[in-house]
Amino acid sequence: MAYYNIFIAPGLPRHLHRRALRAGPSAVGSRGISQVELLTRAGFQSVVETDLTEDFLITARAWFEGREARESELRTSFGDSWFEDRQADSRAMIPAIEEGLLRRSLFVAKAM
Amino acid sequence: MTGKRQEEILKRFTDRYSLGASSALNAVETEAIGAVVGANGYTTVAQAEQLLEVLDLNPSTWLLDIGAGRGWPGLYLSERSECCAVVTDIPRPAIAAAHARAEELGLAGRCHSVLASGSALPFRSASFDAVVHTDTL
Repeated sequence: MAYYNIFIAPGLPRHLHRRALRAGPSAVGSRGISQVELLTRAGFQSVVETDLTEDFLITARAWFEGREARESELRTSFGDSWFEDRQADSRAMIPAIEEGLLRRSLFVAKAM
Repeated sequence: MTGKRQEEILKRFTDRYSLGASSALNAVETEAIGAVVGANGYTTVAQAEQLLEVLDLNPSTWLLDIGAGRGWPGLYLSERSECCAVVTDIPRPAIAAAHARAEELGLAGRCHSVLASGSALPFRSASFDAVVHTDTL
């Protein structure tokens, strides 16, 4: 099994954890233990995590800046609320990644 | 996560996947992801290639992609490795788009789209050789 996962940085004080929860994608707060621990508990072996948070930031910025650059066309195609919702999500998420509140990794594990 | 919260998220994603394509959005996707592949998340083409490196996919293997949306990256992995693939998600428009994309790419013979939640997959144990999901959980 191999998967990419966005998660809240471990060990944050409560107020920063709450902020990360609000800034992240909808499923980011759906677990209370680390992915490595979750996989190990589920019986997976050879669990390897590769941190890709820098790439995550680059991609998040690219979505935001690309939409900004085509604002008029996108508002016409998809409506104002679509555009504003997406940009608002990015405006919350990008600083949270920059500040180390949100991380993204590749997890690779083998079933027993 | 509560049932009400899950319903809100499903509605949100159903609405998103119901939207059509646009040349402007395709251009943004190309800049962010590296190609127009039906993605709306953070898994780039380079990262899909990374999945190919770590999973031993070939024409005799079956891949399950959970929460694949319009089929990204499961269909791409099948296209590149010739493996068989099942892509799943819960918004109907996403699964319809994944099915259409598989046909468009000539992958319909070996790629199947299934409306299913990752928390209640309708498959027998050990049905797949490899599993991927990208920012789903």
